[in-house]
Amino acid sequence: MNLAATGMAAVVAIGLVTALLAAVVPARSAVVGVGTAVTGAAAVVAGAAALAGGSFSVVLPEVLPLSGVALTLDPLGGLFVAVTGGVAVAAGIYAMSYVDSLDLRTRGVQVALPLFVVAMALVPAAANVSTLLVCWELMALASLVLVVAEHRRGPRVASAGRWYAVMTHLGFVSVLIGLMVFVAHAPDDSFAALREAGGRLSPAVAGVVFVATLAGFTSKAGIVPLHAWLPRAHPEAPSHVSALMSAAMVNLGVYGVVRVGVDLLGGGTAWWWLLVLALGAVSAVYGILQAAMSSDLKRLLGQSTTENMGLVLVGIGAAGLFASSGEHTLAALALTAALLHVVGHAAFKTLLFLAAGSVLHATGSRDLDALGGLRPVMPVTTAAFGLGALAASALPPGTAFVSEWLLLQALIHGLPAGGVAAAIAMPVAVAAVALTAGLAVATFVKAFGVGFLAKPRSGAAADAHESPFTMLAGMGVAAVVCVVLALWPAGVLPAVQAAAGGAAVSGDVTLRLSQATGALSPLLLTLGLLAAVVVVAGVVRAAVARRARREARLWDCGGGPMSARMEYTATSFAEPLQRVFDDVVQPELDVDVSHHQESRYLVQAVEYRRKVPDRIERRLYEPVLNAITAWGGAGRRLASGSVHRYLGYGFYVVCGALILLAVTR
Amino acid sequence: MQLLYLACGALLLTAVLVLWRRELSVIIRVFAVQGAALAVLVAVLAAQENSVELWAVAVGVLVLRAGVLPYLLRRALAGAGESRRETRPLVNVSASLLAAAALTLLAYAVSQPLVALAPSAATQAIPVGVTVVLIGFFVLVTRRRALSQLVGFLLMDNGITAVGFLTTTGVGLVVELGVSLDVLLAVLVLQVLTTRMRETFGDTDLDELRELRD
Amino acid sequence: MSALGVVGGVVQPVLIVAGSPLLVGLMRQVRARLEGRAGAGVAQPWRDLRKLLRKERITPRGTSEVFRFAPLVLVATTLVVAVVVPFVATESAVDPVADLFAVVALLALGAVALALAGLDTGTAFGGMGASREMTILALVEPTLLVAIFALSVRVGSTNLGAIVSSTLHDPARVISPVSLLAAVALIVVIVAETGRIPVDNPSTHLELTMVHEAMVLEYAGPDLALVELASAMRLSVFLGLLANLFAPWGIATEATPLAVLIGVLALVVKVGVLGGLLAAGEVFVAKLRLFRVPELLAGSSLLALLAVAASFFLA
Repeated sequence: MNLAATGMAAVVAIGLVTALLAAVVPARSAVVGVGTAVTGAAAVVAGAAALAGGSFSVVLPEVLPLSGVALTLDPLGGLFVAVTGGVAVAAGIYAMSYVDSLDLRTRGVQVALPLFVVAMALVPAAANVSTLLVCWELMALASLVLVVAEHRRGPRVASAGRWYAVMTHLGFVSVLIGLMVFVAHAPDDSFAALREAGGRLSPAVAGVVFVATLAGFTSKAGIVPLHAWLPRAHPEAPSHVSALMSAAMVNLGVYGVVRVGVDLLGGGTAWWWLLVLALGAVSAVYGILQAAMSSDLKRLLGQSTTENMGLVLVGIGAAGLFASSGEHTLAALALTAALLHVVGHAAFKTLLFLAAGSVLHATGSRDLDALGGLRPVMPVTTAAFGLGALAASALPPGTAFVSEWLLLQALIHGLPAGGVAAAIAMPVAVAAVALTAGLAVATFVKAFGVGFLAKPRSGAAADAHESPFTMLAGMGVAAVVCVVLALWPAGVLPAVQAAAGGAAVSGDVTLRLSQATGALSPLLLTLGLLAAVVVVAGVVRAAVARRARREARLWDCGGGPMSARMEYTATSFAEPLQRVFDDVVQPELDVDVSHHQESRYLVQAVEYRRKVPDRIERRLYEPVLNAITAWGGAGRRLASGSVHRYLGYGFYVVCGALILLAVTR
Repeated sequence: MQLLYLACGALLLTAVLVLWRRELSVIIRVFAVQGAALAVLVAVLAAQENSVELWAVAVGVLVLRAGVLPYLLRRALAGAGESRRETRPLVNVSASLLAAAALTLLAYAVSQPLVALAPSAATQAIPVGVTVVLIGFFVLVTRRRALSQLVGFLLMDNGITAVGFLTTTGVGLVVELGVSLDVLLAVLVLQVLTTRMRETFGDTDLDELRELRD
Repeated sequence: MSALGVVGGVVQPVLIVAGSPLLVGLMRQVRARLEGRAGAGVAQPWRDLRKLLRKERITPRGTSEVFRFAPLVLVATTLVVAVVVPFVATESAVDPVADLFAVVALLALGAVALALAGLDTGTAFGGMGASREMTILALVEPTLLVAIFALSVRVGSTNLGAIVSSTLHDPARVISPVSLLAAVALIVVIVAETGRIPVDNPSTHLELTMVHEAMVLEYAGPDLALVELASAMRLSVFLGLLANLFAPWGIATEATPLAVLIGVLALVVKVGVLGGLLAAGEVFVAKLRLFRVPELLAGSSLLALLAVAASFFLA
């Protein structure tokens, strides 16, 4: 039994024990927090061991009927297990004091948290279809319980839960159909058998399998157009659960696409990957555009998850495209970029959600228009969010900068590689990635600048207080990982490459990044930047008259003290962008001007309301929902409320079936 | 060869500028520049082939497309009075610029087989011609002023001419002469038409023609 | 790290810091003369900076470290760019940072620092400037990266040193349509990024039109001096980048004093000429409405995309 196997066994054992303890022990929150964190740590160990080459595989035929449970941990799965574990460590530590609100201490919610982590850690380790589907469903159910944990807060939580439940199950059905079609063409449902059969599938069947699983997996990853649940569920879930869902669970959708498309089906044809690329590019731009308009802090972060998963899919799509035209080095590079972005996104999104939760904990508000001025009262949370925002916005020295740099390198060098399709796809993809990066900068400047700096815009923000130590410690874990990833990506790149190489390319391809595509050293860059800051500060200090800084009034145009009402809000910050992308987002604007009674030339109040509806959702979902409602309306006429009538329906149908049988025989 | 590509670049740039600018007088000036670029293109081909006929065509293109047609358009504009701007095209300018980007990629995709037929330096540039045709069509479809639509039409013609010369390197003097005369005639007819329209309606906003149906 | 790289890494920042206020002075002088004024002289920006540096430092009430550190970060990012980009010598002092994407991102980082400082003041002006600056930045980014794409595809690298030396070896590339289109796109982008007319007016103090000036309204004394110096440096860095991407001639390829001297002179002349042209152009155009700026940027990104397209149309 090697380290990976021990780690996975520990994950399952500790997770289940924690869940059991949560059901019986009165002081649940500390137990669950510690247990979840230890489970996560075990998952990190297992994943790291698998990445280092210690893969294992185990079959337990008696656990599940028909095919049994089969687990294998290869480098690709190991990467995702490790990422999940890392998020769980931070979220577990954070949860110890975060769950002190009444709603979150209930037994069901506390039991679900470790189960959720265990299920997420098992999905990438599943080695046959049954295991994958069971773990997938367990993960969906546990997360659903957690999403509706705060259902007492209002009807929006319930609505979010409903959306999540429906979408996640439709996704499950789609994955199920795809994999069942696949299994029908293989001797049994183990991944080894499927891998062997994958090469022999006819293009049509392989296409069906790929598209069906793609739909299911991308709905889990929050990719447009199946993203509707994400901006609903992520803000309404408790923040540590949001972090788990947004930083760990959505990754598994990406894992599914890579596992089925690249590994089991063996690459497939170019149009699959063009589809993936297009979905990714649209999601990235659309997600960040919605986030740029959003003034709800957690919703913004959720929409940014759609954006980041979109970027990951751009990388995966490019990798598949290169692989199908025989460019295996480039394919591995693109896949490495995508997986590195998965890792980086997990780190900074955990940090951002935990910091947002800390704000929510202190002020009770997620509305950016009501926040601000948190810097003096919550210095650590402000620093954490600032770090996360820097990491998320693809600026040096940030985490996302490294992975997006790699992604752009792959796209640029892909141009000569792949014929007409690549020649058209690559510039568009670069433009989409660049637009996404630019909008992400604006979005996170808004989130950090409006949410944390300047003057408080409401009483709640003014009375905020710093969060307890364990919450800060949870953020600290995520922050340290962020900094390491930003400054020393070389530390994780070999591991990511092991995962990418194992999945993307058969045979041995070594990546020589510096030789093939130019080099980037984030560490040197940061050191240079720091040195420059020190030099400039020193020169200024030497040159400037040695007098102490003096505080002075802000420039208020002579109109008395500035009040918070004069500040720019998140809504006004986003207004120019909203105008620029008017045709894309189609905001609903509503301006009410009320006049004084004496004269209609004197304005009493102006009220400006703006709503940015999700346009894709409105165009795509509303017709479907309306059709279902209409269908339900038709069905209502049959349901009169009489029990006899209902029993009668059953009777008629049975008789009808028998008659039909008799006639057709 | 660089000169040929540079001429193609200028063709592309001027087509984009027609889409970009609203001032009708600027559009006409840009159109004249495009005519000159087209003439340069033909002249480069003439120098390559060393054919007198092509040189004559180049001179003809220069006179007609950089001289006569812009002159006629400017005269039509001078009569137009105050409506000298394409104020509100059917598709706004930013969107039409993005559409032009998409059209360029489309042109590239569709003209690959053509290039593959006879790969040479000249045929490499075919997508540029196709792009100009498509952008011209786009202008024709989305602009409101009769005059800018006319420019769109002429843009298409420029594009077709460019493609013709790039593919066969010699449509022949007679054919080019015939086409040019046709275009000239069309412009004259349209000019008369716009003048009449303006006299009748006081404007050349084509959307108002819709009322004629009722 | 070669000797040439070290020389460049020392000479370039000194040159940029010393020369960029003079560039701004030159541009103001050109404008003044064209508008029929006498002008304040080329060295006026330096005199302004000296005066500002002697004043006391002032912190507006209610602002945090973000406000105080932003000028430092702004100058530092520009300084790093000045060290690594091949302005005077083809080799970079810190080669792994001399990447086009990294340089663009570093310059964006400076702009972000200033926008956060604007928001940190909590005044309407600061917020307004930050919001507008970020909008323009978001729209500039695609153009910039796609233009870079066009330039780096034929070289096969985004390393600036590689791009510059490949242009040096193959001058015919400069008059290709790829370069033409990419250059036009980059010029538009640079005008937008450095806040010149028609995107922003550096000499306005009218709230309807301000972008950059609105963000820095609260700065005074030495902090303002840093901000002013940094924006002058950004202007010279962008113009120097433009000059060396499309016309790198004169740049030093070996570490002899004569070559370096020629490199310095060439850079001064190129940037001076570009600055003069930019200033002369500004006399003839009016500032664009803020909401017409996206149109300008959409056009330039189309040109950038066409440049990429041309790089495989006409390859």
